[in-house]
Amino acid sequence: MEKQVPQRVGLLQGTLDMLILRTLLYGPTHGHQIGKHIQRTTNEFLQMQHGSLYPALHRLEKRGWVSAKWETAPDRNREFKYYRLTDKGRKQLVVEESQWKQMAEAVARVMWPAAEEN
Amino acid sequence: MNWWQFGRRDADLERELQSDLDLEEEVQRQNGLAGEEARYAARRALGNMALIREQTHEAWGWATLERLAQDLRYAVRQLRRSPGFSVVTAATLALGIGATTAIFTLVYDVMLRPLPFAQADRLVTMEEIAVEWSNIYPTLPVSANHFTFWLQHNRSFDSMAVMRQGSAPLGTDGRPLQVGVLTTTPGIFSVLRVQPQLGRIFALEEAQPGNEHVAILMYDLWREQFAGDPGIIGKTMRLNGFPYTVIGVMPPSFHMPSVLGPMGNANRPLPIEVLEPLAFSKERLAEQMGDLNYFGLARLRPGVSVAVATADLDALQHTISANLPANEKATLSVMLTPFQEQLVGNNRKPLMIVLAAVAGLLLVGCVNIANLLLARAVGQKQQMAVAAALGARRAQLVRMALRETVLLAVAGGGLGVLLAFVTVPAMQRYLPAALDFRGPLHLDWAGAGCALLLAVVATLLAGAAPAFMVSRTAPNEVLQAGSRLASESRGSRQVRRVLVGLEVAVSVALVLMTGLLTASLVKLMHVDRGFTTEKTMTAVIDLPTMSYPDDQPRAAFYREVLERMDRLPGVEHAAITSVLPLTGDSWGDMARVAGDNRPVTQLPLESFRWVGPEYFSTINLQLIAGQFFTQSDWGKDVAVVSEKTAKSLWPGKNPVGLQFTRGDRSKELPFTVIGMVADARTISLAKPDPMLIYVPYWYRCEQTAGLVLRTRQDPSEMAEAIRQTIWSVDRGVPVPTVRALSGMVADSVANQRFEMDLLLLFAVSALFLAGLGVYGVVTYSVVQRSREIGLRMALGAQRTSVYRLVFRDGLFPVAVGAAAGVGLAFGSARVVSSLLFQVSPYDPALAAGAVGALFAVGAAACLLPARRAAAVEPMQALRAE
Repeated sequence: MEKQVPQRVGLLQGTLDMLILRTLLYGPTHGHQIGKHIQRTTNEFLQMQHGSLYPALHRLEKRGWVSAKWETAPDRNREFKYYRLTDKGRKQLVVEESQWKQMAEAVARVMWPAAEEN
Repeated sequence: MNWWQFGRRDADLERELQSDLDLEEEVQRQNGLAGEEARYAARRALGNMALIREQTHEAWGWATLERLAQDLRYAVRQLRRSPGFSVVTAATLALGIGATTAIFTLVYDVMLRPLPFAQADRLVTMEEIAVEWSNIYPTLPVSANHFTFWLQHNRSFDSMAVMRQGSAPLGTDGRPLQVGVLTTTPGIFSVLRVQPQLGRIFALEEAQPGNEHVAILMYDLWREQFAGDPGIIGKTMRLNGFPYTVIGVMPPSFHMPSVLGPMGNANRPLPIEVLEPLAFSKERLAEQMGDLNYFGLARLRPGVSVAVATADLDALQHTISANLPANEKATLSVMLTPFQEQLVGNNRKPLMIVLAAVAGLLLVGCVNIANLLLARAVGQKQQMAVAAALGARRAQLVRMALRETVLLAVAGGGLGVLLAFVTVPAMQRYLPAALDFRGPLHLDWAGAGCALLLAVVATLLAGAAPAFMVSRTAPNEVLQAGSRLASESRGSRQVRRVLVGLEVAVSVALVLMTGLLTASLVKLMHVDRGFTTEKTMTAVIDLPTMSYPDDQPRAAFYREVLERMDRLPGVEHAAITSVLPLTGDSWGDMARVAGDNRPVTQLPLESFRWVGPEYFSTINLQLIAGQFFTQSDWGKDVAVVSEKTAKSLWPGKNPVGLQFTRGDRSKELPFTVIGMVADARTISLAKPDPMLIYVPYWYRCEQTAGLVLRTRQDPSEMAEAIRQTIWSVDRGVPVPTVRALSGMVADSVANQRFEMDLLLLFAVSALFLAGLGVYGVVTYSVVQRSREIGLRMALGAQRTSVYRLVFRDGLFPVAVGAAAGVGLAFGSARVVSSLLFQVSPYDPALAAGAVGALFAVGAAACLLPARRAAAVEPMQALRAE
C-alpha cells in the first residue's frame, strides 16, 4: 500500500541530496560519517534520523551521481560502504547549488525587502 | 534490475544499516550509555528500519513489484480461506478457456492458417459451369479441351494447371504398397511456386502420351520407401506395374492437399506421395463437351482480382460455347474460388457453430463466477468500507477487489492451456480431409494467444461488476448500518438476477441447439436408407494398370475373385461395384430413349454404376419389377434402373424390356432394361439418390472396385480370408482395406456426431452452471431475508407460502432468461437450418424441452434454499438482531 507522503519532504528531499553531495566533496565517506557531519555542521539544527540518509544515498547512486564500494576503513579492521562523488555528481552539485541560491535570494527579496534596498 | 539480484542487494543494504547501527552504538557508549541502552539509542537515531528499507526499495524501482507480490500473497490467502469457491471457479475457467482454445485452434487451422505456399492468397481453383446441367451439378470439373484454350488465351493468370488425384500400387514383388498419386500438368510447379529439392520438374514433352512415365517423389515416401537414397534421380521404380524414372524429390516442407473435394467422406483419400505428368491424348483434347474431369488450380497475376479473372475466362468460355457442334450445345462459364475457401468447403458453418457454442459456455462460466464474486463482494463490504474510511483511494479499492479475480484467471488460464495442449492433438481426426495435410495438429502461439486473451476477457467479464460495486463503497453508510443488518443493496441483487437470466438465456439456446442437432442425427441414422448393412463387409481393390490395361482382363479378374469368394465358407453373397455405398459418386452419363433426338447437353443426366450380379441381394436393394443380372447375361448389354429413373425416362410405363443408349454413344447397341429397383440413399444419407442406372461389370469396369460381401457369421473374422482370396488370384494386387459396411455408414456421419458430442458436452456443462447460478442467488437471498421470512411466519405465513416465495424469487430470472434464450435460438435459425435433417429449427417440442430442462434445473436449485427458508424458526430469526 502506498504511503501518504507529506509535501514538505519534497523540498527537504532535494535539499538532503544537495547536502550529501556537498559533504562528499571532501572525499569518500560512509553513511554514518555523512550523517554525523551534517548534524555537527548544522549544530544539530537539522534533527533528522540518519536512517533517512540511506534511501537518499541509494537514489543518488541509481542516478549515477555517487558511486559506492565496500572498503576497509583506514582506522579500524572493518569494511564500510564508502560513497564517492562522480563527475556527473559534481556537475549536479553545481546545478543544485545555483538553484538553491536563486531560490534563497528570491525568498529573501520577498521576506526582507528593506535589507535589499540598503 | 533482475529479480535474482533482489536478495543480494537487500543483504547489502542490511549490512550497510547494521554497520551504521554499530558505529552509532559506539558513539552512544562514548557518550556514557551502557550496553542495552546504547543499542536502543542507536536504533532511535537510525529511525524506522522497515520504512528505510521500503523507501530504499522505492529508490531502486522495486516498489511496483513488491506491491504485486503483496497483492499475490493477499489473494492467495483470501482464496485459501474459501477452497470450495476457489476450486469451482478455477475449474470453471480452466474448462471454459481450455475448451474454447482447443476449438479455436481447430477453427484457426481450418479457416485462417495460410496455406503453406508462396502468396497463397493468389491461388484459385477453377471449375466450369454448364447452365444446362447446373440444376444437378452446380459446377463441373475442367475439361482438357477448355483448359488448353484458357492456357493459350487468358490474360489474368501467371500460370495454371489441371490435375487428377488417384492411387496406384508402388513396387511389384507381391503385395505392393498402394500410394496416392497426383497426375498433373507441368504448370503445377509454377502455380504453387515450388521446386524439387533433388532433380527437376516435368519437361513439357513429358506431358505428351508415351513420355509420361516419369515421377517426382514426395519427401516422406523418398525417406521411408527409398531410405532417402541421394542417388535416386534417374533410377527406375514400378508404379502401376510400369517402370517409371524418378526425376525429382520434393522438399520436406511441401505437402499437397487432397484435391478430391468433398466426395467420398467415408473414405479418407490416401495422401499424395507421387507426382506424375498428365498427358492428354489427341482424342481427349478433341472432346469438346466430354472429359469434364480435372481439378483446376491457377495463380492470379499480381493485382488481378477474382472478379476480373472470372470475366476473362467467361469471355473465353463464351467463344468455346459459340463453336460447339449443334448436338452438344451448352452455355459455359467458370467459377473461380480462392484455394483455401475451396478446401474448407462446407466445413465452415459447423465449425463456427461449435466455436460459438463453446464461447457461449465460457460466457456462462464467466457470468457464474461474476455472480459468486458479487456475493463475496457483499460479504467483504465491511472490510472495504474500513479500507475506504482509512483513506484507500478508489483505484486501490478496485485493485483489492480485482486481485483475486486476476489470480483465478491466471490459474484457470494456465490450466486451460494445459487442457488445450492435451486435447488438441486428439482433434486431428476431425479436420476436413482436404485440410489434413500439414502434419500433426498442435497447440501453437495462435492458440496460446487466444487462451491469454480469453483469460483477460474472463477477468474483465467476471470482475467488472464486483469491482464497480466496491468502487462505489460509501464507508459511512456501511459502517453505520451495523454489522448484522449489512445486506445486499437492491442494485446488486438486480445485477445478480440479470446475470442469472443471461446464463439461462445462453444455456437454453445451447440446449436447444444441441437438441436440434441430436434429433437430426437420430433421424439421419434411422432414415430408411433402402439398403442393409448387417453382416456386410467391404474391401477396395486396386488393380495395377500394366497387368490390367482394359476391361477384358479386369472383368476376368473380378469374375475369378467373385467365384472364389462365393466358395468361402460363411459367405452368402459376393459382389463388386464401381462405388461403395456412401463413398461418393463417380460416373455421370446421359440416357437417350428411343426417339429422343435432343442434343446431348439437354438429355437427362443419370448416375451410372457398374456392378456384379449379386450387388442388389448383397445390400438388399429391393427389386420392384423384372429381375437382377445373372451370370447367364454375361456379355449382354442389359441394365437395371432405379424407380426414379424409370419414372422420368418412361413415365407411366413398366421399364422392363425397354431400351436406351448412352447419350453420346448413339451408335452403340442399346441397353435393354431387365429390372427396376427401389430408390435408396447410397450416396448420402441426407438426401435420396439421383436417377441411377446399373450396368453389369462385363459392360464396363475400372481398375478400382468395391467388393461387398454378406456373411452368415461374424464378419470381422472375414478380413484375412478376403485378402488371401484376392492374393490367391493375383499377388500383385495391393493390400485391400477391409471394412464393415455399418462402420462406413457410421463414418459418413462422423462429423455430425462429433459436433453433437461437443455440443452435448457444452450444453450439459451450461445447464450445470446455470443451476449453480440460480442456487447461488437464491441461497444468498434466503440468508439475507431470513429475518423477513421469520417475521412473515410469526405473522402466520404457511410453510408452503414460504416455498412459493423462494421459488418465485429463483424462477423469475429463469423464465425471463429462457424466453430470451428461445428468442436467441430462433433468431439464429437461418444459420443452423442447413445443418438440420428433417427437423425444423422452430420445432416447438424441442424448444419446450429446452425450456423445461432449464426450469427443472432451476427448480432443483431452488429446492435446497427453499427448505432452508421454510425451516427458519420465527423467534430465532427475530431475536438474532
